[in-house]
Amino acid sequence: MLPLLETSDLATRLLQQCANGVAKGSVYALVAVGYTRVYGVLQLINFAHSDVYMLGAYFSYYPAKWLGYMPEGAEKPKVPFYVLGLAFLFAVSACAATGMLIERLAYRPLRNASRLSALITAIGVSILLQNVGQMVFGADPKSFPRYMDQESVALGPIAVADTSLVIIVVAAAMVGALHLFVQRTRTGAAMRACSHDMRTAGLMGVNVNATVSLTFALGSAMAAVGGMLIAMDQPRLTPTMGLLAGLKAFVAAVLGGIGSIPGAALGGLLLGVAESMVGAWNTTYADAVAFVVLVVVLLVKPSGILGKSGREKV
Amino acid sequence: MRKALAAVALLAVSLATACGTKIGPGHDDKEVHLGLFVSTSGEIATFGEDTKKGVELAVEEINAAGGIKGKKIKLTHYDTASKPEEGKAAATKLATQDNVFVAMGAVASGISLAAAPEFQKYGIPMVSPSSTNPTVTQQGNYIFRVCYLDDFQGAACAAFAQNDLKAKKAAILQNQDDAYSTGLSDFFEARFKKAGGEIVAKESYKKGTSDFNTQVTNIKAKSPDVVFLPCYYNDAALIAQQCRAQGLNVPLLGGDGWESDKLVPNAKGALEGCYFGNHYAEADANPKVVAFVEAYRKKYGNAPSSLAALGYDVVYVVKKAIEDAGEFDRAKVRDALAKLKGYEGVTGKFDIDENRDARKSISMLKIEGEKFRFVRQINPSEVE
Repeated sequence: MLPLLETSDLATRLLQQCANGVAKGSVYALVAVGYTRVYGVLQLINFAHSDVYMLGAYFSYYPAKWLGYMPEGAEKPKVPFYVLGLAFLFAVSACAATGMLIERLAYRPLRNASRLSALITAIGVSILLQNVGQMVFGADPKSFPRYMDQESVALGPIAVADTSLVIIVVAAAMVGALHLFVQRTRTGAAMRACSHDMRTAGLMGVNVNATVSLTFALGSAMAAVGGMLIAMDQPRLTPTMGLLAGLKAFVAAVLGGIGSIPGAALGGLLLGVAESMVGAWNTTYADAVAFVVLVVVLLVKPSGILGKSGREKV
Repeated sequence: MRKALAAVALLAVSLATACGTKIGPGHDDKEVHLGLFVSTSGEIATFGEDTKKGVELAVEEINAAGGIKGKKIKLTHYDTASKPEEGKAAATKLATQDNVFVAMGAVASGISLAAAPEFQKYGIPMVSPSSTNPTVTQQGNYIFRVCYLDDFQGAACAAFAQNDLKAKKAAILQNQDDAYSTGLSDFFEARFKKAGGEIVAKESYKKGTSDFNTQVTNIKAKSPDVVFLPCYYNDAALIAQQCRAQGLNVPLLGGDGWESDKLVPNAKGALEGCYFGNHYAEADANPKVVAFVEAYRKKYGNAPSSLAALGYDVVYVVKKAIEDAGEFDRAKVRDALAKLKGYEGVTGKFDIDENRDARKSISMLKIEGEKFRFVRQINPSEVE
């Protein structure tokens, strides 16, 4: 009897780690689609993307503060549902605007410059956003409004936070919707045309500048949702919170095949689950896994799991 | 070559003069000059601010009551900006420029370690209110402290888990990048095992982690009776929420890093009924503590943190040492500090031991609603 009991214990534990990994990976996926779309269109690794994710978390914090629900206290009422909606709309639209602004001011003037210049500019914008964040929001960690009561939900033998379930569902819906948008709509077709050959797309009547702007807006909106979801689950905001999450999401995008939306989703989930599974064995090495995975994938299949191998686009 | 030689000679001369500099006595007919160096800016600014408030309250009380042996206290403070090199600069200024009689500081052990050799060099007694790292007072025989050490704190938490919470199996979740956290964790583990307990899981996370679900799953699988969290309040609040979300509902236990008025709001109820050890208890019924809490509230409008209490105690300890020495002589005050026994401060009764460390008790607190309820004190003799 005993060995059987132990096996089922182990199975439960691995199942729980799997659930932890899927929740973690869903956020990576949300952020990774932003990297992947921008890379697909501009061949630019937008390092500032992880800081837009950070802004998303802060932008969804402030509506609750302005309406008087922060800081929390025993005598304060629960945050009503409409504030959650307001926070969502505010974070998404403010981040989309920030993304478009970054593109307009920092990247568009360099569109015909060498890719290295654009890359260095991206790193510069990232550092700028982190430091402005420290000046405006302050360096000490902030807690996050309780938009949802964090409660334990039993799923058979395992238990997860309801906020983790929300993360998984919302992330899947958003990534799916983005994929459909890119594949099925005329605007999506324009995006694909630009990523295929920007100059020819322009000659065919595609408004290239507007399409690139939209790419940034959509990617940034996704990052904003990611930042808000993670803050609901793990309520601690810091101006540098995007650093590690952005790095992981970037690894996820490369893992899945940079340029591909389903690839980014798959890469995010794989990375999240791999981290949790390694963590089940030894938590000290869990973070290192992300980067070992990146090195291995680049060695074996440089284009990523779902990436198209082929000639470098010019 | 000749230039280099000249430079070396010049350097040697200036060093010789620096070493030979006799510093001023640090007191005159009317005043005794005390120095303070804590961080009132930077990442640990709140700790320094609280310490400074405690110190200033004590100085004000002593001066109102006639000073130390008839001399009023003159206090000079330099901000150490949460940086060890600023601590060293502040120490040099306090010693050579202000010629303070006794120096008080710092909060962070790293800053105390940088400043201590300066005071040792000039023979100025230095008393740290709250540096808990064991190496601080090993810098020289003029360096003292009035707080307990991390080895005692870790052992006391283990004793509390075993004797009061009746725990047989404990789990630890530590921040692998923080010496405070790993130190406490090791001392907890050693004591818990020595008394016959079992450490069923010892998990680590990296600095800046917000997702502890993997570690919590591993801990839950080992069904411990208690989980020890040697970390600061921000991490404790997040870990507690993730434990509860996965249905791990055993008591959580921590050290003085948990103390913050943000602990309870950040944890959003997940830390209800959990315990942590602290330097003092605001709810202590000792008349000395009651009077201190009342005076502090009156001056600053809020309850004192344990850092404020330690800052308050450090000034009174200096006063007691000067009175015991009988005269304003730094070497004699040093001797008096080294011999201090049975001193009763707001952070408890303590002796200064042969390592110039305070041998004192820890207050265990229970989180109930927004309040920290005093449970009991653990004395050093209990864990030895």
